[in-house]
Amino acid sequence: MAYRVRPAVIGCAIRPAIIGRDRSLEEIIYDISQAALADAGLVIEDIDGIVVGCNDQFDGRAISVMMASGPTGGVDRDILSTPSASEHAFVLGALRVASGHFSTQLVVSWSPTEASSMSEAQRLGADPYFHRALPLDELSAHALQASALNHVWPNAWVFAEAVAAKNRRHGAVAWPDPPARPRAGPARWPLTERLTTQPVTGAVAMVLAGESFVAEHSCKNPAWLHGMGWATEAAFLGDRDLALAPALVAAARQAYTEAGVIDPTAAFDVVEITDATAYAELIAYDALGLAPRDTIAARMADGWFARGGRLPVNLSGGVITFNPVFCTGMIRIAEIANQVRGCAGPHQLEGARLGLAHAGSGFAMQYQSAIVLGAS
Amino acid sequence: MSGAKDRDRVGIIGIGQSNFRSRRDDASYPDLVREAVVPAMLDAKLDFDAIDAVVYSLSPDAMVGIGNAERLGVDAVGGRNKRFLRINTGGATGISSVTAAYYHIASGVCDVVLTAGADKVGECGDSQTVLNKIWDPTYERALPLGTINMLAMSAVRYMQRYGMTEEDMAYVTVKNRRQAALNPRAHLRKVVTIDEVMESRVISWPIKLMDCCPQSSGGAAMVLASEQFIRDNKLDAVWITGVACRAETYWMGDRMGTNPTAEHADAYALGRSFEQSYRMAGITDPANQVHIAELYAPFSNTEYHAIDAARLVAKSGESVKRVRDGEFELGGRLPVNPSGGTLCTNAIAVTAMARVAETALQVWGRAGAHQVEGARVGIASGNGGDHQIFGTMVIEA
Amino acid sequence: MQVELLGRQEVWNITYDHALGATASYFFTQIRDNCKLFGRRCAKTNKVLVPPRAFSDETLLPTTEWVEVGPAGRIEAFTFVYEQFNNLPEPPYAFGYVLLDGADTALGGYFKGVDLTNPREAATRLAIGTRVVTKFAEQRKGDVLDFWFEPV
Repeated sequence: MAYRVRPAVIGCAIRPAIIGRDRSLEEIIYDISQAALADAGLVIEDIDGIVVGCNDQFDGRAISVMMASGPTGGVDRDILSTPSASEHAFVLGALRVASGHFSTQLVVSWSPTEASSMSEAQRLGADPYFHRALPLDELSAHALQASALNHVWPNAWVFAEAVAAKNRRHGAVAWPDPPARPRAGPARWPLTERLTTQPVTGAVAMVLAGESFVAEHSCKNPAWLHGMGWATEAAFLGDRDLALAPALVAAARQAYTEAGVIDPTAAFDVVEITDATAYAELIAYDALGLAPRDTIAARMADGWFARGGRLPVNLSGGVITFNPVFCTGMIRIAEIANQVRGCAGPHQLEGARLGLAHAGSGFAMQYQSAIVLGAS
Repeated sequence: MSGAKDRDRVGIIGIGQSNFRSRRDDASYPDLVREAVVPAMLDAKLDFDAIDAVVYSLSPDAMVGIGNAERLGVDAVGGRNKRFLRINTGGATGISSVTAAYYHIASGVCDVVLTAGADKVGECGDSQTVLNKIWDPTYERALPLGTINMLAMSAVRYMQRYGMTEEDMAYVTVKNRRQAALNPRAHLRKVVTIDEVMESRVISWPIKLMDCCPQSSGGAAMVLASEQFIRDNKLDAVWITGVACRAETYWMGDRMGTNPTAEHADAYALGRSFEQSYRMAGITDPANQVHIAELYAPFSNTEYHAIDAARLVAKSGESVKRVRDGEFELGGRLPVNPSGGTLCTNAIAVTAMARVAETALQVWGRAGAHQVEGARVGIASGNGGDHQIFGTMVIEA
Repeated sequence: MQVELLGRQEVWNITYDHALGATASYFFTQIRDNCKLFGRRCAKTNKVLVPPRAFSDETLLPTTEWVEVGPAGRIEAFTFVYEQFNNLPEPPYAFGYVLLDGADTALGGYFKGVDLTNPREAATRLAIGTRVVTKFAEQRKGDVLDFWFEPV
């Protein structure tokens, strides 16, 4: 199925760690929206639709799109909201441009840390029927996934530690002068403190445009959408084999079919994976077709996924470096867009032409998305 | 932006709705979703395999008491390993979800999309307490704002500008209850008189108990498909020919004072959204080209500014006299909310979807006892936030 | 077979510590310390926005200067609440929006000093356009509840 109109990313703004309490959430959203517009060389009047990805419980607002509509430029404009995941805001924005009904979309996501307990806020996502009484927050769900993987692959923990270390090294290169020092998160067996990072406030915004807009405005270095897939796992953790990610397999298949990618290990120059934990990254290698589980050890030994390797993953430093929980998915997409646009910064991969962004959110990566972006 | 005529259309091929009631102790939240999904799929004559994507309709999580409750609805909508995302635009969520589903198809990516959701408002104590939390904590959360008193203030301004009276408001309730009595899906179906409405207790003046929508539990679901799929499979359908969405300022105080762009008595962004959807559908004279309207109006007074915004009358404020004259009711020239509307049934997460569903049923000739004779062009609207985000659609046979 | 239907009580209990930002902080500290009200001007439309914000949502431009407004103004909207809602105040009470002198947008607050026994009578007392004055609490925290409006 071809897009009616091919969408492209023409501007991005990424702020994965916003420190200090000098600005209100609305002011942070205003800043990131303006920054993405500036990066695209546009003003708000050029935008004919907005999609935001924000979470009511994190924001402390029962309908978070309401306050956000002002700072994103939503007044007298078309604005929708996908609270399921930040990456879903990108997906819906891309679909709207692809329909030809819209020439542009501004997509924005943010993740504040104003809740007294992110864990409490996340625990509200457990159903009251069977699971609410349990200490089931996202960290616990990630821990359950880690133990499921260790069960079927007893050495997984070794590779998880190596993945986390790799991403930290990448983060040091990407952020020579970081806005904040990443702080280790709590341990939750089998996740050690080396595998988790404390949540920080962050925000991200992207501008999408269709083919004619890009041509008319001579946009310099668009990142064209080649393929997009998104899917969900089952609701109850107990219904899932947490060592596997069938939703990601499905999402990758959708994206690769659209993009004409047959061999993902050969097609992509650069990859970003939402390493909610390093175990999630290991599972994603397999589900994305980058490394079936029994090849991971060898490929990691060969340095495939490290800087300078055959298929660098998370040159941005990933979530282990900065963890603005809710918007980590859209940040991966923006990072890949910047890579193929040639403006990723200190971690730019020379000659990056085709990239893959993986976004995962929810309990043990319930929502999985795969986005393929290319320079042409 | 080119019109719908340039490209294949998007059609509605299946509809499902609960019989909405207050408490549903017999069903969990996902059960209520399933309750609507099954009839919608049967109506569309499809298996779940045929669904390319799901758009999940859910407004404030706090109403159902489960954060990101859409995750629990995954199985109810047959969503495992399928494309799935959720929409929340407050009260407009239902129409925004159908809108998002529309774009899944119009993009060329999907052929068949299911959109569904449910609400269990009766379980959260009282919805005004939850809805108080939609206002910003900086300036307005400490005020006892809720959707009822917000729209009571709209009523006060509408009274001052256009002379609407409390009896005029009561008439809308009387009209809609009479229509809801014919609709087995509606929640409040008891016929009432103007006197009974006027004597009901004042909640937030001038809004009285019977000027208010109920808190309803139940689900709604719709299946949309591309024109190509519909033709290839020889399916029966009605068509979404116009779709749009518009927001106005969140600040209610900015809808007052000096030359506001959006006036709080009116529904500015609703008007802008209708403009856009009419343009797309090629409707130039809505008052004469539209046969039926399901306009989101959770309080009696708000039906007036919705009719004004839909340009079913020449000037704002004119709706009052024309409603009192019987023009906008079943049997009249252009029935508004023949289902009973939001005033008689409000399962917040899907109320605006029910407006689309009812409009579709009308132009399809399937509305049953509350059918508008000969309806072929219908409009639907949804409102969300502090009367801030609006979605509109034009649906045709 | 008749099944026994069970229920479960759950409470949402999260405390948020919202950063107000420099603009709102100035507004509230002026109320707390000086019993003064301020708006911010949008340079493009010249409108003085109350409550003040760092940018106008209409023009998306930063606001440019502080403008003192009030303490008198006119009523733009009101309502009287007679129903008790969980965790909201005990009725009856009146609140609404006031366009303070010098402002172009209206500020929300409680109305006091009006008998609410008969709403239709109270509605004439607080009709749109009625002049009011801002009253300040003796003890102020830097909060919307530090002030209210009373008819002149």
